[in-house]
Amino acid sequence: MDDRLLSVAPSPAFWVAVVLYGVASIGFLITFLQNRPAWFGAARVVLLLGFVAHGFDIGWRGVERVHPAASVREALGFLAWIIAGGYLLAAIRYRLDLAGAILAPIVLGVLAAARLSPPGTPPGELTLLGRIHISLATVGVAVFALASALSAIYLLEERNLKKKKFDNLSFKLQDAPLEALDRMSQRLVLAGFPVFTAAVVLGIAWVVQRHETMLRPEYPVAIITWLTYAALVAVRLGLGWRGRRTAYLSLAGFGSALLVLVIYFLRRAFEG
Amino acid sequence: MSAELFVVGISWRTAPVAVRERLAVPDDDAVALLGDLRLAPSVREAMLISTCNRVEIYGAAPPGGAEQAVAAVRRALPESRGVKPAEVASVLYGYHRGEAVRHVFRVAAALDSLVVGEAQILGQLKASYGAAAAAGATGAVLGRCLERAFGVAKRVRSETAIAKGAANVSSVAVELAGRVFGDLRGKRVLVVGAGKMSTLAARHLRQAGVDELVVTNRSPQKAEALAAELDAVARPWAELENLLADADVVISSTGAREPVLTVPLFKKVTKRRRWKPIMVVDIAVPRDADPAIGELDGVYVFDIDDLEKVVAANLAERRKAADAVERIVAIEVGQFEQWLRAQKVVPTIRALRDHFTRVADAEIDKLVAQLARKDRELGPAERDEAVRRSMQLVVAKLLHHPQMALKAEDADGLAAAVQRLFPLEIVDERPVTAAPAIAPEEARVAGGRKA
Repeated sequence: MDDRLLSVAPSPAFWVAVVLYGVASIGFLITFLQNRPAWFGAARVVLLLGFVAHGFDIGWRGVERVHPAASVREALGFLAWIIAGGYLLAAIRYRLDLAGAILAPIVLGVLAAARLSPPGTPPGELTLLGRIHISLATVGVAVFALASALSAIYLLEERNLKKKKFDNLSFKLQDAPLEALDRMSQRLVLAGFPVFTAAVVLGIAWVVQRHETMLRPEYPVAIITWLTYAALVAVRLGLGWRGRRTAYLSLAGFGSALLVLVIYFLRRAFEG
Repeated sequence: MSAELFVVGISWRTAPVAVRERLAVPDDDAVALLGDLRLAPSVREAMLISTCNRVEIYGAAPPGGAEQAVAAVRRALPESRGVKPAEVASVLYGYHRGEAVRHVFRVAAALDSLVVGEAQILGQLKASYGAAAAAGATGAVLGRCLERAFGVAKRVRSETAIAKGAANVSSVAVELAGRVFGDLRGKRVLVVGAGKMSTLAARHLRQAGVDELVVTNRSPQKAEALAAELDAVARPWAELENLLADADVVISSTGAREPVLTVPLFKKVTKRRRWKPIMVVDIAVPRDADPAIGELDGVYVFDIDDLEKVVAANLAERRKAADAVERIVAIEVGQFEQWLRAQKVVPTIRALRDHFTRVADAEIDKLVAQLARKDRELGPAERDEAVRRSMQLVVAKLLHHPQMALKAEDADGLAAAVQRLFPLEIVDERPVTAAPAIAPEEARVAGGRKA
């Protein structure tokens, strides 16, 4: 793989996906704000089409020998794709207007961030180990992103219910029930945790393999992220905790994961 | 089959229950009443709906007979209940034709219900119509009207928000439980205290799929009685903390003066539950649940005022949807009236087709017989001639009466009608008879032969 391949321009399908994600974001927002249930189905279809177009772009880059985990740019695009797919899966069963209004713009934003991020590590540095590490970390973070979006909605809905805001939009919209949100978020965290754990272990191995002596600032934050999710899994499975406390933990874990990315970008920006 | 619809009735809009109950017709008497009503020549079809909010007769009268039918029923309905018609004349309303159809559709759409959008009326309407149909009191027109009314009810339910949102306290409790738990199957409900309201709410939850109901009360006898009534399990009051730790939904309506669901108790309970959500529906006055337990993690408390607030909000939403429903009803009434108008000419169309078929059949029979009889004598050219002549005879016979009518003195309107009925090109203003395809003499002969 050479530099030319690392900076392969996006296929037309990429731009189609960007437009469709944008349209879907607006659709979900209108569904939620104007309480138009009919728009939900339409926005979901648009998002699905965007997802398919995006998948086509990723596949095409694969054919051009640009691996989804070849660089942070590719990985972010892949992350956005997994978030969109995960949301679509959850939206089959429940009317997740609010989740759509939150997640579709996030997908769009992550895609934009992917285009703006540095094109990639020099090919020599990216070993197989590194590539697997990036792949797993991407999948893990994407799954955590979905979980934390559901947790955020849980907290919002719970607040409305506690404060008895019955004329509130999310109440009228008959979004997914609290228990379902809690359960889906939990399952996602449980599914993402082993993947993320493997990513962290491989990441450490990768660092050792490169004989790095300098501790990069994102490393401790990544460990804190892992510890947060480990704690979340422990209290949920071990102690049977439910509800608000675990939702806050899930949000904290994802915030920490985001921090890793932000530090990485800042460091790259200063180094570059 | 042409007919006019009419409605006579009394409802919560026009009369208090003290009057309505005097006119209420028990199911057992309904068939006899419908039979009596149909003795009146102006009442061809009839059905009766008698609920706690309305007593109404829907019927079909012969063309022009709706007013007579209404007058007849306004007398017969009170008399059948032993009430003097004059006593209830001011509260009995009558609708004719389009207004009657509109009323039936509005009733089916639950626009005329005490609680707008309440689905109950639809079931009652279906049962009443079924009973009347089984008794042979209904026919094609009323049948079509009710069938459309059920269609309207289905349509407004799916297209508008008229039936959205629970409209009574018990249903709201179920709805709120759904907001927390989603599917209620497999959930455990604890009924604290044996008040009447909690019984109702527990029943609603049972209908929503809850399969485990536990009852507890200070007096074990009352708990047992209620448990038997609800097909639930009774547990001693002393176990309250354990029961709360296991429950998902708590319905409370004790007669206690002080809260029984206190903060210290719930602090223990929530911790034992690991903050798994628990919903407390407190319908007791004074309240059973200390409002402060709602601050605890995973506890959702709703008192009677909260439930009433949701009911009010839902009803307001339904009223907002009523305009859209009225529009749908108006459209459907229009379509029904169009159908009814079409029914008026159906017999004419049928008779016309029969007449044409008869004339053609007669000629075909003759032609077939002629050809069979003279099979040997006729050459191909003569056969053709026989067939052509036979066809011309059919045309002549069919045109005979119309031609006579058109030649009558005051037939200007008729000529215009004919021009509308057939794709004619009128070349000039000469009389139609100047160059007929068939000579009138011939037509008369043909007609004469037939006679």
